[in-house]
Amino acid sequence: MTDTALAHGPVVEKRRGESLTATALLAPATIFVALCLLAPLAILFRYSLNEFIPTKKMMVEAVTVANYVRFLTDPYYTAILWTTVRIAVTVTAACLLLGFPLAYVMARTQSRYKNVLIILTVLPLFVGNAVRAAGWMTVFGSKGFFNATLQGLGLIDKPLEIMYTEKAVLIGIIAVNLPFMVLTLQSVIESIDRAVEEAAYSLGAPPATMFRRVLWPLALPGILAGTILCFILAMNAYATPFLLGGPLFKMMAPLVYNQFTQQTNWPFGGAIAFILMTVTLGLTLAANLLVHRRGVR
Amino acid sequence: MSDRFSLNRRALLGGTTALAAGAAFPAAAQDNKRIVVGTWGGDYSRLLAKNIETPLLAPKGWDVVKDEAQVDPRKAKMMAEKVLRRGTSDIQGLSANDMFEMNEQGLLEQIDYSKLANAKNLMPAMKYAYGVGHIYSGKVVLFNPKLMKAPDGFADTLDPKHGDKLGIIDIQRPYNMLAAALASGGSVSNFEPGKERLLACKKAGARIYPTNEALAQALKTEEIACCIMWKARAVQWQNAGINVETVAPKEGVPMYVSGFGMPKNAPNKAGAYAYLDAMLAASAQEGFAVDMGYNPTVTDAKVPADVQKRIGFTDEEKKRLIDLDYAYMGKNDSAFQDWWNKSFKA
Repeated sequence: MTDTALAHGPVVEKRRGESLTATALLAPATIFVALCLLAPLAILFRYSLNEFIPTKKMMVEAVTVANYVRFLTDPYYTAILWTTVRIAVTVTAACLLLGFPLAYVMARTQSRYKNVLIILTVLPLFVGNAVRAAGWMTVFGSKGFFNATLQGLGLIDKPLEIMYTEKAVLIGIIAVNLPFMVLTLQSVIESIDRAVEEAAYSLGAPPATMFRRVLWPLALPGILAGTILCFILAMNAYATPFLLGGPLFKMMAPLVYNQFTQQTNWPFGGAIAFILMTVTLGLTLAANLLVHRRGVR
Repeated sequence: MSDRFSLNRRALLGGTTALAAGAAFPAAAQDNKRIVVGTWGGDYSRLLAKNIETPLLAPKGWDVVKDEAQVDPRKAKMMAEKVLRRGTSDIQGLSANDMFEMNEQGLLEQIDYSKLANAKNLMPAMKYAYGVGHIYSGKVVLFNPKLMKAPDGFADTLDPKHGDKLGIIDIQRPYNMLAAALASGGSVSNFEPGKERLLACKKAGARIYPTNEALAQALKTEEIACCIMWKARAVQWQNAGINVETVAPKEGVPMYVSGFGMPKNAPNKAGAYAYLDAMLAASAQEGFAVDMGYNPTVTDAKVPADVQKRIGFTDEEKKRLIDLDYAYMGKNDSAFQDWWNKSFKA
């Protein structure tokens, strides 16, 4: 036993050294995340269990789930949650539909302009969401570029109502999220050997069958990563629904902000933030499980 | 090599410590002349610099730093800093309503008017125990004379007959509710009668805009023909070429007072007093009247006659100026926000 221990001594020491190095490498990021993310989240969660006195606009120390119950039992708030999920799912599906062909072309092209294509895809990310939304505002207004063009061409008599509608929000968030989807899919498709597609074709599979039986299953991990990224971004969208949706359109992130700043109701704002986080995490995990289960089958 | 490195490291650490210790003294001295001002951005902030900070404070060595944001985030920040011994701002730009609310929360220092030389000229109504009125205007009716004839008051404006030609600003919620109340037999202390009127307007197609600027754009493109807004804003919009005229409503002209309050935990209260005094100087007040269309809150400001005619109120209109019931608005604010979001904007 002792001999064995002696024989393995340097190995154990080496492993200990490696684990120390790993700890040293992990520590700064872990401490940063713990301080800057987990600690505020813990404080926020504690606040969400407090009470709020509306007439004095004051938070009172308590331990109650009343804020969570209020959200889940009030149709006004559940409708906002439902709208948020609906928008996020629609945006994610649209990004996948629009992004896959583009990502495929970018991954497979042999053109010397491939890098230009990638830069063009990334370019919109150089501009902040709020700035992009401001740009859309000039396009969607009743006398904006879109309506002025259609009216100028004689296609419509009176301007279409786009600004401050769900349509504007959908277009805005799709535009924001599409590059994330395309870049994720492009890197995954690029890693799939072209030979497997050609093998399918050489065995007589039409393009649709090759896509369904070969490309889609092999790209599934990337599709999952892209859709999850897109879904999370859409669920938490703030600037776009706030600026393009206007006062009558409501999603969860602007609602959280409203509770904190306008109503100064931190306990309820905290509860809404945690409900949003839980629903986003829950749906993401469910999608992950579903895809993995299908993959195993 | 190792020894040399060790020596260098020690020297570096020692030097850094000495530098940091030395730097602390000038930093502290500099802090005494630094005033951190919480304020709205845009025109208001620019005009604070133009009329107060550059001509009156900078020559005396004051260094003004701005914390620009809408009022709600700044109020939230003040509340979050309540527990801190030293806050991050010395003075905060707030409406009279917000000053009242922040004072109710125990966040504002009570003003010692003996420290303000210019306070002798301040209108008595603008002397709040917890803040100082900087400028004021009144809520009036705005209309486009090309598209409609002049309404005579709030009832004639907040009327379903205007359909989608009536614009309502979301962030002006308390004042919209007050105007609707005054139009429907309510008062500054009873907003309830106005709710039905607002719902009827919404049902008839009234357009709701998120901000003042969005509504201004709609007035400019003639998407809407009328709204209610501060007279000072109407003057600004007229200056920007928007075809809009104003009517002082027959039901009364609710006053809007914009002022400054000092957080209890302001790090530089002497600086805050210096700022308050400078903002009450006649030259600063005259500048705001000309540039922004707001009325001075001091009696010694000399506003040019043509400007006064556009921004001010006639003697007859002055009789209709009404101050708000801040206690009523504060007490019911959460309930009114709920109604506004869930019923009116539903």
